Amino acid sequence: MENILEVKDLCKTYVINKRQNNVLRNVSFNVEKGEMLAVMGPSGSGKSTLLYTVSGMDRMTAGKVEFCGKDLSVLSENELSRVRLEDMGFIFQQMYMLKNLTVMDNVILPAVKSSKIKESRKETVSRGQEIMRKLGIIDVADNDINEVSGGQLQRACICRSIINRPAMIFADEPTGALNRSSSDEVMDEISRINAKGTTVMLVTHDAKVAAKCSRVLFIVDGNIKGEYNINKEAPLRDRERGLNNWLMEMGW
Amino acid sequence: MYLRILKKDMKRKKTMNVILLLFVVLATMFSASSINNIIAVTGGIDSYLDKAGIGDYVIIASKDNGENNAITDILDNDPSITEWRGEEQLMYTTEKLYINGDKLTGGGKWCFFLGIGNVRLNFFDSDNDKLAKVKKGEVYITTPLARDYSVSEGDEISFTIGERMFTYKIAGIVRDALLGSGLMNNPRMIMNDEDYADIMSDADAVHDLRSRVYYIDTNDVSSVKTSLSEATSTGIMFDGDRAMIKTSYIMDMLVAVLLLIVSICLIIVSFVVLRFTISFTISEEFREIGVMKAMGIKNNSIRSLYLTKYVAIAVIGAVIGYIASLPLGNKLLEMVSRDIMFTSDNKTFMGILSSIAVILLIVFFSWSSTAKIKKLSPIDAVRSGQTGERFRKKSLFRLSRSRLGTSGYLAVNDVASSPKNFSIITAVFTICALLIMMIGTLANTLCSSKMLYLFSVTDSDIFINNTSVLFDLVSGEKKRDEALSETEELIRSAGMEADVKIELFYKVAISHGDNRTLIHMLQCRETETSDYDYDEGTPPAYPNEIAITHMCADDLGVGIGDKVTVDIDGKKSEFIVTALYYSMIQMGESGRFHNDLELPDKLISAYYEIQADFTDSPSKSEISSRVEKLKDVFHDDVYDADEFVRRTAGVSDILDAMRNFVTILSIIVIALITILMERSFIAKEKSEIALMKAIGFRSSSIIGQHVLRFGIVSIIASLLAAVICKPVTQLAASPIFNMMGAGKSMSYIISVTDVFLIYPFIIISATIAGAFFTALYTRTIRSSDTADIE
Repeated sequence: MENILEVKDLCKTYVINKRQNNVLRNVSFNVEKGEMLAVMGPSGSGKSTLLYTVSGMDRMTAGKVEFCGKDLSVLSENELSRVRLEDMGFIFQQMYMLKNLTVMDNVILPAVKSSKIKESRKETVSRGQEIMRKLGIIDVADNDINEVSGGQLQRACICRSIINRPAMIFADEPTGALNRSSSDEVMDEISRINAKGTTVMLVTHDAKVAAKCSRVLFIVDGNIKGEYNINKEAPLRDRERGLNNWLMEMGW
Repeated sequence: MYLRILKKDMKRKKTMNVILLLFVVLATMFSASSINNIIAVTGGIDSYLDKAGIGDYVIIASKDNGENNAITDILDNDPSITEWRGEEQLMYTTEKLYINGDKLTGGGKWCFFLGIGNVRLNFFDSDNDKLAKVKKGEVYITTPLARDYSVSEGDEISFTIGERMFTYKIAGIVRDALLGSGLMNNPRMIMNDEDYADIMSDADAVHDLRSRVYYIDTNDVSSVKTSLSEATSTGIMFDGDRAMIKTSYIMDMLVAVLLLIVSICLIIVSFVVLRFTISFTISEEFREIGVMKAMGIKNNSIRSLYLTKYVAIAVIGAVIGYIASLPLGNKLLEMVSRDIMFTSDNKTFMGILSSIAVILLIVFFSWSSTAKIKKLSPIDAVRSGQTGERFRKKSLFRLSRSRLGTSGYLAVNDVASSPKNFSIITAVFTICALLIMMIGTLANTLCSSKMLYLFSVTDSDIFINNTSVLFDLVSGEKKRDEALSETEELIRSAGMEADVKIELFYKVAISHGDNRTLIHMLQCRETETSDYDYDEGTPPAYPNEIAITHMCADDLGVGIGDKVTVDIDGKKSEFIVTALYYSMIQMGESGRFHNDLELPDKLISAYYEIQADFTDSPSKSEISSRVEKLKDVFHDDVYDADEFVRRTAGVSDILDAMRNFVTILSIIVIALITILMERSFIAKEKSEIALMKAIGFRSSSIIGQHVLRFGIVSIIASLLAAVICKPVTQLAASPIFNMMGAGKSMSYIISVTDVFLIYPFIIISATIAGAFFTALYTRTIRSSDTADIE
């Protein structure tokens, strides 16, 4: 399988009050096209930093990240913006949206901004409606963001992340702020998107969420401590149990 | 604990605290300087006239050697007069003056020499000290000479009396309460008594140049006025009561009033923005407040914590603001104190008092703004300010239905979705734009040939201030026709043919029944009375018909068709009033004789520039080039109609200076408000900016969106200001022009280019520049900051 993301000797160091804090230390891993990868680890282990660094949202201190064959470390800010806009999708824990826009306008905003898909505004809207219908939030399309529930908002964020048909979606604790039922719905949607060929890399604390992925990286103190492959054919409960056992072995 | 929280807050919320501090500084600075200004200006002129000792009535008489029995008899015999003081002086013309050896250029006018011993008025220098002594060989000049001819201290002034030339060093510039105003505008030179005696020693040369000012204290001005109307052939050039002298400062007052408006606007702007900033910082801290409430801290304790913070900021800001207000206050007052002596004895006290008032206002604002704290609950901290309540719709426009690009759409939508925030900014920008436009409109109006009618003059190709000829005309050495032919000949000598004309003023007594008054009547024999504008009636068609101003008609209690009696050289004649009009001459009290009426030259009391119309009807550009050529012949005193209005109104320069000052001030205010507001918005929208970057927006797009928001606001403000500019100018300035006699006829000249192009360009540029440089800060927000946002 072809790699969509290749990470080699990735280091990220923050300097706080003249003190160096090495958050990521020589991290290396690959993500295959169509894969759904979860990154787990204790708080402060560097999971989110890893996600933001490999997605080009944050600059690396050393190492190399190749996304779709492009070396992100040499790209300018504008080039990175373009990559994020057209080839990547992002889902955040806090369901960030522009508050002055309706749910629909938030969803189609990246598509209107991008020139990747040549289409009229009307076609973009139709596409947005189609995606929202599939995710079951078409009824709230014209609502303001403070008029919808957290689960609906997170699904809107998923819609926004896929509107530009990205090659890969990065999700930082996508279910972290949701109740169990909403969390399941959101993960089901992400899994469905992944099943259609979009690569997903997500950060989570939740084994149940990670169990829906095909592979799990366990990260501690900025190092990948272990890697766990999940048999997606097995029932979810078995996958979750197997993962939990492995995590316990890892010392979590 | 409070102090610890406060210290931490000061450090953590540095930007917002600095913004707040800056506004406190601005508010204190503007209020302290403006309040001082308001106090100084409101009682300024009366206090100045009192200190100068101008009395209740003033007469200026030419050819008066102190033995003018007609005047002194009246002054001695009118029981209402408690005291009068005669001030001898020598009448001269500025056109015959030399400064540092060069002939004085820039327009001729009457000027006067006085010996310090003869002075009966108090003249004050720039330090508000009374002029008491003049050294031999030195003179003190009054402000009109310094203002209109750029003469300054240290220059040498020379002039010829008879065969002798005299030269003196200018020792300083003093304010003259009688002739120093923008409308009176005649220079005086005060010299040592020995020097004065020396220049007066050639009895023949000074015989017709002796003049006298009478300062009269009376308890019945109208009685003096009536008594004086019997003395028409006594060479009275000017007579007027204290109210008229006060009105002669109307142009200075116009500037002062504008300055007051500017000051009040600045105070309003400061406090509006201050309140916004305080409310904004409190709404930003909902989480901290929620956490404190969750910990069990009571509302009042939390409010007092914020109050402590704001009091600390207010005190620091007020101290800095007060210090900064001193030069600003001086600068503001300087604009009007050129002619008027403003004494603010309690300057320091008032400044400190207004600073304390600012502190108290801030404390009050803070207390009322912190009332919001009561509404915040611990749930706000937990639910990031969302309480689960459903609010009104925020998004007004739909991206899905818009044809705009993302930055344009987001900017428009932001402005429409936050009407409160952006309308405050729009209001502030509109006020600033309006100030510039209003002063600009006044400046344009007061230097436009379209205002000629208000000075009772017809249009001409050129206006020539041939003072030496006119001087001879008034002093009786030349006849009117001689003066005109001489000027015509001089024009011809430059290779041009022109018809010349002159408006002459005749001081006459006019009466109707028991109502009598002394007014200036105008006559130009080369024009028809129908060439002038009248508000009511028909132009005088026969020599026994006259037109008078509305003010004069009101004084006499006459209307169109009534007969009035005019005392001309001791002979009483009846005239029919056929027309009424508005004019700013003599504060609205004047009239016009028919052009065919024969009047003796000896009654001429004043004159306008000689007007010339070229016989070959040249183009405007050709006229301009001829003006340049004729300047060599007439010592630069040749100009067009616009310049004539500018000089006659006598306030355009100061209005121009004020326009520049207000423009710079507005640019600073607009830029500061833009910077502070934009910085507040960035702080508030940090999560959205990070999110936009995360989903692929470039920094330039975000900067574009932010700049565009302010651009939209400044465009709306400029348009609003442009639309309401005329009525607002009318509202602010008409009372002053009405006092001067312009009445309803006053029409303000709105320069479309200025109001719709230049001023908006200035406002929009200042806004965009401020917004752009501040929005650059968004570059420091990284897409990964999305993770750090609470």
